[in-house]
Amino acid sequence: MVFDEAFDVIVIGGGHAGCEAASAAGRLGAETALVTLNLDLIGQMSCNPAIGGIAKGHLVREIDALGGIMGRVADRTGIQFRLLNRSRGPAVQSPRAQTDRALYRTEMRKMLEHTGNLNLRQGMVVDLLVERGKILGVEMQDGRRIAARAVIIAAGTFLNGLVHTGQRTYTAGRAGEPASIELAESLKRLGLPVGRLKTGTPPRLDGRTIDWSAFQPQEADERPIPFSFSTDKIEQPQIKCYVGYTTPDLHDTIRENLNQSPLYSGQIKGIGPRYCPSIEDKVVKFAEKERHQLFLEPEGHDTNEVYLNGFSTSLPAGLQQDLVRMIPGLEDARIIRPGYAIEYDFVDPRELGPDLQCQRIAGLFHAGQVNGTTGYEEAACQGLLAGINAAALVKGRPPLRLRREESYIGVLVDDLIKQGVDEPYRIFTSRAECRLALRHDNADQRLRRYGRELGLVGDSDWERFNKRQDCIATAKAWLRQARLRKADAGYLAAVDVVGSPLGDSINLEDLAKRPRVTIDTIQRLLPLGIREHITTGELEAALADNLYAGYIRAQDAVIRRLKHHDSTPIPAGLDFRTLNGLSHEMVERLERTRPQTFGEARAIPGLTAAALSTLYVAANLQM
Amino acid sequence: MDTIVAVATSPGRSAIGIIRLSGPQSLEILRGLIRDQLFTPEPKRLSLKQIVRETGEPLDSALVCYFEVPHSFTGEEMVELSCHGSPVILRRVLDLAQRLGARLAEPGEFTLRACKNGKVNLSQAEAIRDLINARTDAAAVQAARQLKGELSVALQPAKEKLIQIIVRLESALEFVEDDLPRIQAEQIEKEIAEVAVIVEGLAVTFTTGRALREGLKVTIVGRPNVGKSCLFNRLVGLNRAIVTEIAGTTRDSISESISLRGIPIVLTDTAGIRVAKDKIEGIGVERTYQAMADSDVLVVVVDGSTRLASEDLAIVTQAMGGRHVVAINKCDLVNEPGLEDQLDQSLKVVHLSALTGEGLEPLTAAILEPFAAADSETVGLLITDSRHYDLLRRTLASLENSVELFSQSASEEIVLVGLHSALQFLGEITGETTTDEILAEIFSTFCIGK
Repeated sequence: MVFDEAFDVIVIGGGHAGCEAASAAGRLGAETALVTLNLDLIGQMSCNPAIGGIAKGHLVREIDALGGIMGRVADRTGIQFRLLNRSRGPAVQSPRAQTDRALYRTEMRKMLEHTGNLNLRQGMVVDLLVERGKILGVEMQDGRRIAARAVIIAAGTFLNGLVHTGQRTYTAGRAGEPASIELAESLKRLGLPVGRLKTGTPPRLDGRTIDWSAFQPQEADERPIPFSFSTDKIEQPQIKCYVGYTTPDLHDTIRENLNQSPLYSGQIKGIGPRYCPSIEDKVVKFAEKERHQLFLEPEGHDTNEVYLNGFSTSLPAGLQQDLVRMIPGLEDARIIRPGYAIEYDFVDPRELGPDLQCQRIAGLFHAGQVNGTTGYEEAACQGLLAGINAAALVKGRPPLRLRREESYIGVLVDDLIKQGVDEPYRIFTSRAECRLALRHDNADQRLRRYGRELGLVGDSDWERFNKRQDCIATAKAWLRQARLRKADAGYLAAVDVVGSPLGDSINLEDLAKRPRVTIDTIQRLLPLGIREHITTGELEAALADNLYAGYIRAQDAVIRRLKHHDSTPIPAGLDFRTLNGLSHEMVERLERTRPQTFGEARAIPGLTAAALSTLYVAANLQM
Repeated sequence: MDTIVAVATSPGRSAIGIIRLSGPQSLEILRGLIRDQLFTPEPKRLSLKQIVRETGEPLDSALVCYFEVPHSFTGEEMVELSCHGSPVILRRVLDLAQRLGARLAEPGEFTLRACKNGKVNLSQAEAIRDLINARTDAAAVQAARQLKGELSVALQPAKEKLIQIIVRLESALEFVEDDLPRIQAEQIEKEIAEVAVIVEGLAVTFTTGRALREGLKVTIVGRPNVGKSCLFNRLVGLNRAIVTEIAGTTRDSISESISLRGIPIVLTDTAGIRVAKDKIEGIGVERTYQAMADSDVLVVVVDGSTRLASEDLAIVTQAMGGRHVVAINKCDLVNEPGLEDQLDQSLKVVHLSALTGEGLEPLTAAILEPFAAADSETVGLLITDSRHYDLLRRTLASLENSVELFSQSASEEIVLVGLHSALQFLGEITGETTTDEILAEIFSTFCIGK
């Protein structure tokens, strides 16, 4: 085969997965091409202009700890930082930021252009060149052929994208951009199981036509907490967002016009995310609710465009304008871009191994919405992992696999490749069995080492990491030995906070675990010599470890209970095919490895807990 | 999948002995056994057939029955042969079947196949084991109830309530930006307590349930020569223990399995408690103490014709800690007036005569008090399996832990640790609840979606 150009790695798509993938592969020394339809839209946020949120913020921090770029770019372009769940425990707190949409794109493009071994190419990939189960390269729409040893598909909603507004439909990857029809066809030709999903986006408004006084302002945090472990300070001026509500009249009007909704007419076949329903879905499924919450989110410093969060819709554009005007404060509002729904193809992620490589086509990796996920952060972390592993494949190094017990990325990948998806997959903290141990404050402690060993974490970041770990260790040591005595200056104040007697003296580890005791309480008790050297963030991490230590031990015990069958043998000659309740993939995975004990079975990637218990029942009855 | 064969009835001579075949070759093997390759039986109908030896001579005439896939116990093709119950004949039929391609089944393999084919679940398989091993009617009734899945059904309300609580707490954590109803602390605490009540209600039945399955351990104790062995023989219905008027006749503990109104009882007669006269008696008394520690119910026998001795009172005091009956024996003789005043008011007392059998009914009733209605089907569902009991106790401990943390206003993610463990423990009885199921419940309960 004749090729016009050759690379180690080709990344198809310049969204959040593609950017991370290309950046990582390039920095790991693989000659990389990022092929995208429009170089000016690299890093585009197709939906809301925000990064992070509960569990998603954890992902961004993990990406950063491994040496990814999303956190850095978000820190430079974030215009409203908030730490969510501040009133709750540190394990479920998560950073979130509104970002300046245009600025994010510019910064991301700049970042990629300064990456060694990384080449940007504009164009559309129409075919994957595969021979004997191995990827050879791609073919472009203009006829060029580019060779590569690894190809990462990160094409987002572009795969066979179909936009719906009312009864009108047109093929598109995003509003105003062409869909990737041929690439989607080539995936089907390769025999990959392809399904259909749906997502949607709300209308954008002209900020000059909004009566802002009718909404409640929502302020940014006074002390913004950056995503990246490398960021010292958030430089962007912080803005306000605004909260408002829909009305019963508006709900009635939507219900009267459901016949114009492609969701309810059966025109949309793809399955949408239940946690991100359209306004049509909200008023139908929760008819008893009198109002639904909406957020007005400015899209940036230099634009009037405002994102109407909570009002995702695929109703006809004209009707959207009427509906928006029924919202108190938006009586005169004008829509700049109407909302729409989009259907797109995804490939069953059970085709992938834990390195995100297709099991039947060596060198082909999938990342982001092609795997059935939704969300920029979910996409980015898969892009990073695929980029790392594509480079590893090319360089002959072992792949990076992340475990459920050590990261949300591990949870996400494990869920995808074991369970597959039947609706767009979003990360939640409740998906992590080890939620108390997987915190945003200790993402570096969990993953920085991997980033360093791979070569994605530079010297200054590594030094910074070590210094931070030392400070956390100092803080923990001090908490462990220090006692607050009756005669001490802070004693009465501490009793006041706790609201009950503390005895003659109390160990600070114990005091810190009491309800109502905050980091401020402890910080005030720090001796000056320590207070000077330890940042609030470092003390927070030390306190979080302290707070959860006992529960993490208890959780481990529960997990150990599950493991106590590990040495139990699986009867030789047990025919896995005959076990009712084992899915076809589980049988295949079992037959490939032929485990002799439950421990071995548990180690098989992709084997579910349900499959293990079916096996257990079978083995138990046979003995 | 191969075809397995086994004798389904108990070993030894009997009128009928049943042989079962399960697997794809079952019918083919049956045709071989009866030397009729064209035999096409109607499923679930009995036919009388001659089983033929390899030499061509008849071996036995048997009632044979054929079951089609999947309408059989194992879900596979099955054949049952009701032969004459001679061990020799059954052995020969097994040999023939093996020669025709069957393999001898491992213990429990028929149930395993039923389990694999989705005919029964784990808890039902356990119930089948219990049903086979049931020693009395009441135990069989309990096993049959479990086989119907009654335990899962009884736990379902607890599990559903628990999921509802988890759903609310998880939603508060995950969807902090959504417009969700506030968590009502007292309401949550109240609901956790309601879950605990259901679980506790089942857990407490284990003492009774275990006794039903394993037999209630009843031990007869007392001073020498008060009529213990006489009472023992009376309850066993045989002259099992040696009875003389010589104090200290019983040297060692002896036990018999009996059934009182359908409840299995392990009844133990013991050496009388006194300062031992020799080494053998000393060991016997030692064993008495062991038997006392090991029993569910103590029957303290005292002689009703004389005043109670200090030894009597010492034994009675020891028995008071657990379940007990004080049997005032020899009511056929002249009763010692004021004897009962020597005993504590809280003691359970019956008057009887081991010699005449008078008063045995009240004694039986007192022993079986916890099973008041156990001999009929009106008794509630009992926990008979120690695995289930252990899981229920763990569930309760986790719930209690969560309630305590909740009342100390710990953050939701901490309270949820115990609630998720509780759900996992319940799940080991009723079936797993996955994260996806909880998320699905969240999305159908609350309107989520900023």
